[in-house]
Amino acid sequence: MTALILLLGLGVGVLVGLLGIGGGVVLVPAMVYALRMDQHLAQGTSLLILLPPVGLGALREYWKQGSVDLRAGIFCAAGMLVGGYLGGLIAVPLDSRRLQGLFGCFLIGAAFLLWRKTERVAPRTAAVADVKREADGG
Amino acid sequence: MANGPLRDACIFLAACVCGMASGLFGIGGGVLLVPLLVLLFSFAQHRAQGTSLVALIPPTGLLAFWAYAKAGDVSWRTGLLLIPGVFFGGIAGGWLAKRLQPQRMRQVFAGLMFLLGVWQAVAAWRR
Repeated sequence: MTALILLLGLGVGVLVGLLGIGGGVVLVPAMVYALRMDQHLAQGTSLLILLPPVGLGALREYWKQGSVDLRAGIFCAAGMLVGGYLGGLIAVPLDSRRLQGLFGCFLIGAAFLLWRKTERVAPRTAAVADVKREADGG
Repeated sequence: MANGPLRDACIFLAACVCGMASGLFGIGGGVLLVPLLVLLFSFAQHRAQGTSLVALIPPTGLLAFWAYAKAGDVSWRTGLLLIPGVFFGGIAGGWLAKRLQPQRMRQVFAGLMFLLGVWQAVAAWRR
């Protein structure tokens, strides 16, 4: 069981670095199904995992490439702190079954957003080409 | 959108929405934050992912976590066991992201999330 949990963490971590996400979106269903946790318990435990800076190693890789907007990141952090509290207040008194259903709908919606985003890769290459042209002086 | 206080305020508001989802569903919120930065603020993909990781460094879920902990909805042992894996996996993933064309990977992940979502919704329905 302990080995399963350690491996699960490693797998989720790869997604954290690869997609720039917190990982809770995979951790919660994994804990509900693989570890047979209740929906509230899985969500609370997921928030515990996200308290220490688990994404720090991944961030370092992005930082080396200059792919970080620090100012926007700080505003995002402030917004998420406030919003997170409100979300927690809403979730805790909810019925576990209803919360699980909501989580399912959220995943479906997020999947669509993520899919749509994949169609927007072209502008990045264009921007890189622009920078190159400017650097070449033309 | 031009740099400035207006953009900062809009980013803050968008992050508030991500934070709501974070507290409501016990997740990091990056899964919403990354697409929002790309779609609303025209961030490049890698830049959105790097910036999302910045937002996840401070314990932004602290207040949400507190609400769950008060209700006794936290499994400390499992949580502490998962942390090292997520950390080291994150380094590997960040390294991979620079080398892989992440588009295919994201599509696979979106498909996986869709299936997990349907599974969760159906399980809740039939319980």
